[in-house]
Amino acid sequence: MRLAEKKLELVLAATLLAPLLAFAIGPVVVLLVRSVASLRGEALLELLSADGRRATYNTLTISAGAAGVAFLVGAPLALLLERTDLAYRGVLRVLFTLPSAIPPFIWGMGWLALANPKAGLLNRVLGAGALDIYGPVGIAFVLGGAGLPLVLLAGTASLSRVDPALEEAARLSGAGPLRALLTVSLPLALPALGSGAVMVFLFSASAFGVPYILGVTASPPTVVLTTRIYGQVLLGGPDALARALSLSAVLLLLASVLLVAGQLLGRAGRVRLAAGKGVSRRPMPLGRYRSPLSVAAAVAAFVLVLLPLFAVFLTSVQKSYGAPLGLEHLTFAHWAGVLTSPRTLSAAGRSVLLAGAAGTLVCAFGLLVALSRKHFPLAGRAVDALASWPFAVPGTVMAMALLVAFSRDLRLVLFERVAFVLAMANTLWLVLAAYAAKYLVLGGSNLSESMAQVDPSLAEAARVSGASRARAFLDATLPSLRPALASAFVLAFLACATELTMSVLLVPTGKAVLGTLLFELQSYADPNAASVLACGFVLLVVLALGAMEAVRRSARRRAVGG
Amino acid sequence: MAGIELTDIHKSYGPTRVVQGLSLSIGQGEFLALLGPSGCGKTTTLRMIAGLEVPDSGTIAIDGRVVHGPGARVPPERRGLGMVFQSYAVWPHRTVAKNVEYPLRLMGLRRAEATARVREALGWVRMEALAERMPHALSGGQLQRVALARALVGRPRVLLLDEPLSNLDAALKEELRAEIAALRSRLGTTMVYVTHDQGEAMALADRIAVMDSGRLEQVDSPERLYSEPATPFVAGFVGGANLLGGESGAGCFFASGAKFELPPELSGAEGPGTLVVRPEDLEVGVGQGGTPLTLSARLFLGSSAEYRFPLGDRLLRAIGPPLEARPGETLPVRVRKGRLFRGSFPATKPGR
Repeated sequence: MRLAEKKLELVLAATLLAPLLAFAIGPVVVLLVRSVASLRGEALLELLSADGRRATYNTLTISAGAAGVAFLVGAPLALLLERTDLAYRGVLRVLFTLPSAIPPFIWGMGWLALANPKAGLLNRVLGAGALDIYGPVGIAFVLGGAGLPLVLLAGTASLSRVDPALEEAARLSGAGPLRALLTVSLPLALPALGSGAVMVFLFSASAFGVPYILGVTASPPTVVLTTRIYGQVLLGGPDALARALSLSAVLLLLASVLLVAGQLLGRAGRVRLAAGKGVSRRPMPLGRYRSPLSVAAAVAAFVLVLLPLFAVFLTSVQKSYGAPLGLEHLTFAHWAGVLTSPRTLSAAGRSVLLAGAAGTLVCAFGLLVALSRKHFPLAGRAVDALASWPFAVPGTVMAMALLVAFSRDLRLVLFERVAFVLAMANTLWLVLAAYAAKYLVLGGSNLSESMAQVDPSLAEAARVSGASRARAFLDATLPSLRPALASAFVLAFLACATELTMSVLLVPTGKAVLGTLLFELQSYADPNAASVLACGFVLLVVLALGAMEAVRRSARRRAVGG
Repeated sequence: MAGIELTDIHKSYGPTRVVQGLSLSIGQGEFLALLGPSGCGKTTTLRMIAGLEVPDSGTIAIDGRVVHGPGARVPPERRGLGMVFQSYAVWPHRTVAKNVEYPLRLMGLRRAEATARVREALGWVRMEALAERMPHALSGGQLQRVALARALVGRPRVLLLDEPLSNLDAALKEELRAEIAALRSRLGTTMVYVTHDQGEAMALADRIAVMDSGRLEQVDSPERLYSEPATPFVAGFVGGANLLGGESGAGCFFASGAKFELPPELSGAEGPGTLVVRPEDLEVGVGQGGTPLTLSARLFLGSSAEYRFPLGDRLLRAIGPPLEARPGETLPVRVRKGRLFRGSFPATKPGR
């Protein structure tokens, strides 16, 4: 390796590692050290206390239930959508993946409006008290539905990569179509489906909003680790903080175990890419089961996706929460009120600024990660792993870590003259750091993938034409990365603009962002107004993703046409 | 009674007609190669025999039983065939032995009996030692051996092979080719073998069916295909012959502004036609009365040399003793032997 490259590697590694260490990795380490250090007295008591054990138990059972729901619905759906001639596959696929883009809190709001025991819409149809969404079962159900895309997408991706000849070979060996599907493709996709289910477990254990509105405010309350941590932080004081820290350590440990398990499963299930000539796979005809199965899938999509969204919308136009049904009880007053209130506008302004800044950071760091991955395989992979780790750290834990690490101002005095003061506690800067750290992986993975596909001879041609290394990158490589940059930015922007879990812990009072505003309105003040805001979130997400898909399609068409 | 009988098969994908009116009968125990350039419909034909593709019209019978036709549609698993795929298609989640055992289990054999047959089939392809390996621990050649054993273990009357050697390197190709030939003579299975490699087809097959643009061009023994090609396409594809479109008259052939004197046996022809000449049947530089052509390249091959002459929009290739000649020189070229096909030269083919 030439000297210049070595130097570049050092510079890259330093620019990458310094902020990563300062804002993503370091605080979590501080949190672990502090929680171990305080593993005496109060903290230990918390772990052994009935409430702490109860919260841990609830987290485990609810997450397992959610993973089970997502697997039981997601695995058959993946088979039906990817491998059969089910009707309306395209629409169903979009509907079933929608939950991943919408904050889980909103699904909780929707189900609350549908199935709260007193005034839930479904209960009015089915009879009072027929359904009760409060409690562990309801939380697991809602989280399972919200996590469904994790199983579904893992399953369809893996099924679509199975070489069609594998199933054809089974047919020629005497197996019928169903048997070939179940004995060949399903076993090959099973590890991917399982890893998806583990990810749902992790997602559910990290969830805060859903267990909060469906658990904490219920009677009797159901408390999980994330909501108990939040409760302790609200309580304040050194004892409560120590309790919160030790619970965070438990949650972090759980998340790490799950992450490793999920990745091992995913690696085991890496299916050989279809080889040979591109014989397109014909979907398996369902025959006389096509209509009933299509109807069942459509009903599932309606119940799991459309119904909760509709309930949120209906709530937003009802005169009061739980008002009787009927046109005379509908009003757009909440919409007008929310959309013109200065609180909403200033929160929206803050969220847009924060999400825009976080998106930019994610793109910039993603680019650096991708570059280092490409040029320095070993160091790059390490940085990549470090950058994707914060995503797996539960939001509550990440927020706690930042709170602890930056609770006091950090001072660095040089030559007893120049002082750098980092005063981030109780500012939106800490929120920005949390957003950027958490969603760094969106930039890293998106850009690494697309950088690997850029033909290196593009940049080489520029070098030969007389461009410097940096110039060649800017002129030849970067333009090919534009779509990946755009999609990384949009995804990070959406995730941050609708973020709730970390925001409720980190956002200083009086500086509400959209996520905390939604949380406050729903839990304390005004569910109708909260529903208006939720509708806004859904519209924003659907429009942004739709626009992104349209751009991608037209780009693809241009590529094919040209 | 024929082993496989295809009658007037048609198949289209949307507007693309892949197979057009194909009729072919394959004898019991015969080794037939389906040969043609990529996209000629040979793989589709094989997959229709297997039941993996459904013809738009036509009849397919295997061993006298109609498996596709009016009122009959037998799914692939009930046609009693074996098939070897280009991508091997060895199930990655099963050991070698379990891969080979699968068809037997579906036939309802007991485990003990199946185990013996699996061992026998693995013996045919010399893979007994690796029976408990997982597929990811095998090389390409070994995978294809497993696929062969799996396709043959149920003793099917017919074995279909879809470019089985095209993912292997040259040495392995040679080895497996010999093994397929040996298996065939040992088991007497009817074999249908799809390939685009004429060498492979010539070495293995009793008869070769040459396909182009979804049609059968000629079905014949390798020897006859080479010595008596029925169409210019077959001559060009199988023998690597030069195809010249033009007009004959007065003992001469006129193509792209050049005038070739025809050998005596062809000199009687009149009117438009296609002259097919193998490179080794073009004499370069010696004798008198040759057509003067400008040499564009000379490739030294050792005991001989290949000469290339631009003619119209194509290259005329000739092979003969090495001469001292440089590109740009004009050399006399004479047709020593050739075949003449009547009708105009198919310069543009539909769908090409």
